[in-house]
Amino acid sequence: MIFEPIQIEISQLRCERDDRLLFKNLSIKLESGQILRVAGPNGAGKTTLLRTLAGLFDIQEGEIRLNQQPLKEYLERILYIGHKPQVTKDLTVLDNLKFLTDVDETALKSALSAVGLKGYHDSLVKELSQGQGRRCALARLWCVDAPIWILDEPYTALDVDMVKTLDARITEHVANGGVCLFTTHQPPQQLDYQTLELGHVD
Amino acid sequence: MSIEKRMLARELKLIAARPGDIFKPMWFLILVISMVPLALAPDSDLLAEIGSAMIWVATLLALLLNTEHLFQSDFSDGVLEQWLFLDRPLAWLVGLKLVAHWLFHVLPLILITPIAGLMLSVPTEVLIALLITLFVATPALTCFSGLGAALTLGSSRSGILGVLVMMPLFVPVVILAAGVLIRATDGSDTLPLLALLGAFSVVAATLVPIAVSAAIRLNIGGSN
Repeated sequence: MIFEPIQIEISQLRCERDDRLLFKNLSIKLESGQILRVAGPNGAGKTTLLRTLAGLFDIQEGEIRLNQQPLKEYLERILYIGHKPQVTKDLTVLDNLKFLTDVDETALKSALSAVGLKGYHDSLVKELSQGQGRRCALARLWCVDAPIWILDEPYTALDVDMVKTLDARITEHVANGGVCLFTTHQPPQQLDYQTLELGHVD
Repeated sequence: MSIEKRMLARELKLIAARPGDIFKPMWFLILVISMVPLALAPDSDLLAEIGSAMIWVATLLALLLNTEHLFQSDFSDGVLEQWLFLDRPLAWLVGLKLVAHWLFHVLPLILITPIAGLMLSVPTEVLIALLITLFVATPALTCFSGLGAALTLGSSRSGILGVLVMMPLFVPVVILAAGVLIRATDGSDTLPLLALLGAFSVVAATLVPIAVSAAIRLNIGGSN
């Protein structure tokens, strides 16, 4: 599916947490087709920035606009996958996705095949390995039609093959007019992205 | 499938996966009640007199026991923050969760109270009044303890704190319910007090989900 053009505009964003200034005067523009990697040392505010963009944290100072509209109007067009597991351990792989997404079972099953969880549909997430649990959470990238992807540490616990699969999927997504923001400490090899370095506040 | 159906389906599957969540409070209730005649003199007149109040308090405690962690596992798994992206107001989803919790966790508790009543030889007419008060009052109690659970999501020792915070809201409900039981024992009219209890539940069910959703937002906003 091809998405309508999107423009994300962050202007003069400033954020403090527990009396520590994380970033200030942060301004970036992102458009359809772009990938932004948020980099920086631990505690630099990467997760905070992503969560602010996803509407989970209130904006303290500055502005975030999507296609000239305030962020709040656009939340349903965001797919946010945080660094917490995002899946319930006591439910099966399929049931987890059925709750979080509104797509039919065939689409869910093909998404699960794409992330290499074919044959694990009815396994409980607690029976899977950590990487497989992460794959289950990421399977939503293959079946949800949200143009804006915000992924916090998506590569954690993934093996080499899955990293490649994920990179290919992100490339496909932005080629369709989507936008992807993510954090990671290992720079991805197969992606064409811009980097935003956090952690240089005086 | 609509979000409402998905939510209820998920609750049912979670119950199937963790049946202990339902049975633990039921065992607790039956155990507490079975201890009462042993601790008191096995004088059936005395038991019949205080029995309904004992059952009421034990049910309240059992309800607190299974509501204190209402949102905890979803919060620490990061599933709760995904609720904010579902195409419904958070307060509505919270309301659904509370309804599902009442239906699947609190209702079974109410349904076994007649057994507890028989154990304490509570007279039938008082037993009926007890059942009615529980039906009318537990929606309010479920909402209040849900609010306690949501307010203390971020703190590690949340259980007792949530109960303490909500204690002042439980008190009027317990007083009204006790009033109904006393009147039922006397054989006088219980309807006015029951109506008040019902009003309490209606107000709680309407307003508390909004407060719970604010508490959840606050805790999600304050965690990494």
